[in-house]
Amino acid sequence: MTTNATKITIEFDDRTVRRFMIASIIWGIVGMLAGVFVASQLNFHQLNLASWLSFGRLRPLHTNAVIFAFVGNMMFSGIYYSTQRLCKARMASDLLSNIHFWGWQLIIVSAAITLPLGLTRGQEYAELIWPINIAVALIWVVFAVNFFWTLAKRNEPSLYVALWFYIATIITIAMLYIVNHLSIPTSWTHSYTIFAGVQNGLVQWWYGHNAVAFFLTTPILGIMYYFLPKAVERPVYSYRLSIVHFWSLVFIYIWAGPHHLLNTALPKWLQMLGTFFSLMLWAPSWGGMLNGLLTLRGAWDKLRTDPIVKFLIAGVTFYGMSTFEGPLLSIRAVNALSHYSDWTIGHVHAGAMGWNGFMAAGMFYWLTPRLYGTKLYSTSLANFHFWIGLIGILVYVGSMWVSGIMQGLMLNATTPDGHALVYPNFIETLTAIRPMMAFRIIGGSLYLLGMIIMAVNIWLTARKGSPVNETREVAVIETNQRDTMGLKETFLNDPIACTFAGLVLILGWLFLPPGADIASLVCALVFGVLAVKRFQTGHHRWSNWYDSLLTNWLPFTVLTFVAVALGGLIQIVPTVLVNRATNVEDRIQQPYTPLELAGRDIYVSEGCYNCHSQMIRTMLPDVLRYGDYSRLGESIYDHPYQWGSKRTGPDLAREGGKYPHSWHYDHMKDPRAISVGSNMPAYPHLFTEKFDQGTLWKKIGVLTRLGVPYPAMSETEVKTKAVEQGIKIVQELETQSRAGAMPDSKIVALIAYLQKLGKYDLVDPEQMPLAKPEGVPFPLKPGIPDGYRTSAVTK
Amino acid sequence: MNSSSPNKSTDNGPVLRDHVYDGIQEYDQKLPNWWLFTWYITIVWFVIAWVAYYQLHVGESGQEKVDGQMAAIKAAQLKEMEQLSDEKLWAMSQDEKVVSAGAATFGTTCVACHAPDLSAHLGAVKLPGLPLNDTEWKHGGNPLQILNIVRKGAPDITKGMPSWEPQLGLNRVVEVVAFVLSKHKKGEPVTLAADSPLKAGAATTAPAAAAVSATPPAAGK
Repeated sequence: MTTNATKITIEFDDRTVRRFMIASIIWGIVGMLAGVFVASQLNFHQLNLASWLSFGRLRPLHTNAVIFAFVGNMMFSGIYYSTQRLCKARMASDLLSNIHFWGWQLIIVSAAITLPLGLTRGQEYAELIWPINIAVALIWVVFAVNFFWTLAKRNEPSLYVALWFYIATIITIAMLYIVNHLSIPTSWTHSYTIFAGVQNGLVQWWYGHNAVAFFLTTPILGIMYYFLPKAVERPVYSYRLSIVHFWSLVFIYIWAGPHHLLNTALPKWLQMLGTFFSLMLWAPSWGGMLNGLLTLRGAWDKLRTDPIVKFLIAGVTFYGMSTFEGPLLSIRAVNALSHYSDWTIGHVHAGAMGWNGFMAAGMFYWLTPRLYGTKLYSTSLANFHFWIGLIGILVYVGSMWVSGIMQGLMLNATTPDGHALVYPNFIETLTAIRPMMAFRIIGGSLYLLGMIIMAVNIWLTARKGSPVNETREVAVIETNQRDTMGLKETFLNDPIACTFAGLVLILGWLFLPPGADIASLVCALVFGVLAVKRFQTGHHRWSNWYDSLLTNWLPFTVLTFVAVALGGLIQIVPTVLVNRATNVEDRIQQPYTPLELAGRDIYVSEGCYNCHSQMIRTMLPDVLRYGDYSRLGESIYDHPYQWGSKRTGPDLAREGGKYPHSWHYDHMKDPRAISVGSNMPAYPHLFTEKFDQGTLWKKIGVLTRLGVPYPAMSETEVKTKAVEQGIKIVQELETQSRAGAMPDSKIVALIAYLQKLGKYDLVDPEQMPLAKPEGVPFPLKPGIPDGYRTSAVTK
Repeated sequence: MNSSSPNKSTDNGPVLRDHVYDGIQEYDQKLPNWWLFTWYITIVWFVIAWVAYYQLHVGESGQEKVDGQMAAIKAAQLKEMEQLSDEKLWAMSQDEKVVSAGAATFGTTCVACHAPDLSAHLGAVKLPGLPLNDTEWKHGGNPLQILNIVRKGAPDITKGMPSWEPQLGLNRVVEVVAFVLSKHKKGEPVTLAADSPLKAGAATTAPAAAAVSATPPAAGK
């Protein structure tokens, strides 16, 4: 390796690192404060102080703040710090760094304003309205350009494993975010997603699950690979483990999204892929944990003395715990118990507080003295933060385990003969977990206290020192050894050829018609054996190729993109193209009238989906409690879908016609008047505010473009229809002695929507386009109606 | 494994790679066998389970299972219903055990609309339900008629009474009816309400028919 080295002195951009760190701490405290507040609202409904301070609107604020503001800023500070050092180069553009920082903070502020106002897209962690979506995408591109430009300018030819994870993060989040936010605007603050029903669900959880993977996991793993060896001053445990777990993690993670929709109307092949890829994800996830924990070998004593090591190692341990729990919760039988319950809430908090929060704390305590050229103000305060944080997490997660399992068991309990529910009243199960909800407030508050202690400690450290930008002398490498790999070299080599050929055979097994599928599987197995043989004889060739790949950032990025794009393509494209016509099962939803649509938008805006699902699973207790299980066709016009992921209250899929208008009228005014012990907020503002008639016509126009079969209606017709239906509901309310409702009030629109839930028309099996849909060259198995749930249609 | 000089690559210790990234070095340890085997097992399980459940359709699907369970419940209910009569329900209304069980269910499930004293009024406020403590009945005052309304709901469900049988089960429904009957006397005069669909007239059948077409079969059909 001949290099012509000229030495230059560079000054790293540590100002941006400091800014992101401070922003992360501030937003972290804000987000967790919101968390403690919404947790308290669950126990004390009186805390729903105003419409903009109600649970349904603040819970998205909490989740978005913690994910995108706290972890987002933390990730950026870690990436900016380590990338510059690993590339031996200053960030490519100070201007882009500035735009990235201020743009991101502006996005957070606008989210903090719009969410309490009830402006939302109604999908979890994808609530922000479309103008903010565009801003996020643009700022992400700014970040990407800045990052990859720095890679291109690097003075260190080889890419360290931390950078692999950063690359995966940047390209995957861009892909997920853009696809899941594809919408058509109806006004400056409202849009409808282009996906409906099951497609929306599938895309949403492809995004949602992989936001966890590529926003909360891969960047933090990259940060672990940089800061952990730095903190413990030991070499990383295993380079080859890094390779294996990186590529398996980014490839497998993408497929696991459907495990959020188990036992629902989602086609079986997708549910099964979700479960089995989640199980196969366990080992790759633990590969990261092992590489973290075992790096500490020979330096375990530091765990006693150094709070930074305590935080990092506890963080990695929580990562291992969460990534074991995840596959466990993806098993259908476990999921039948845990889904919609607090167990899931505990699971994500073990990840967010234990893994993200503790990794953030460890990194910040390591960074601060270096960024301000001094020693940490107080090690004992940091130690105190660690212990109070740890106790907080354990109290929180423990109480959520108890709560989730207890409520799940109660909701699913049937009498010994299996003919009736043991606890027919939902409220009973809610009352049972009330004490656990109180413990969650305590746990969350302890953790928040730890964060505040950290903020004070870091503030005092910063005051003691002064901001320093590290300068370093680096050799500028003039070499032809890097970034020279062409297309041929990238794809035409043993590892890639074997992987692709194997994948094609496995896809043949999953997708080809009966007979050909088994043949494909056998070929895949034989091929696998041959590939392993080939690797054993030529593994030097494989590792040499990989070493040279590491000196080529663009081919590395392209291959990473291929790995992460595959799973989504294979799951989503058939569902959008092939399954659209055939998979309505035996029922099709009745489109919403203008008034019902207005009511639905109020339902979405108030965040009702945060506590109410609209999906009755194929499970006896669900069917006994809520009615016949939901069919795919019953949400086919729902933009966005509202299947939900949590049942703090009962499922509403078949709420329509279950109770008279007066029941809903009273219930929305004061839930406890109707259902004693309920923790639902009261919605007095719905009785005084008017629903939005102005945009209704535009909204129906957009939905028509998206395929909802509305008849042609003029703007006046739409308004007239809405008001006429409103008047009818008001009259019916009057006969039920509820006088005084206004036909154009939000409550009337919401009642119209709630009474429509579960209304469908039967589909004549003869008329069903069961034959292969046009444009599909050969019958793919998932295109054939799924033998699992469609027996009612085919027989 | 406890290499005394971890910063050097030794013959029998773990291999330390040459390259140093910003002071960070990497060992190149073998992948732990237990870890590899865990992974292999999950992959093999994927293949086996996919072939078994998806390609060979081993076992019941969730839908088939629920359909079967609901059919069994319906059959059992039919059998139980055969044994029920007005006489038997009146007799049950004298059975303290049955009545107190019914009162408990009524207290959690029915009071929101019918009030604890069955008057459907809380003070001056009229609740959504109809009073059950008088002798006027909308859907008929015979025990079996009352039972049918609690089981299946009112003919036009948008007017009120939902179907309680799926959620409560037939046994609890019978207990609740026994509780309601315990507030009445056998042989007391029964009048039909003015708007009763049971009264002869044109208005009776229309809402009932509309309700049937518009509502999902909540009880397992």
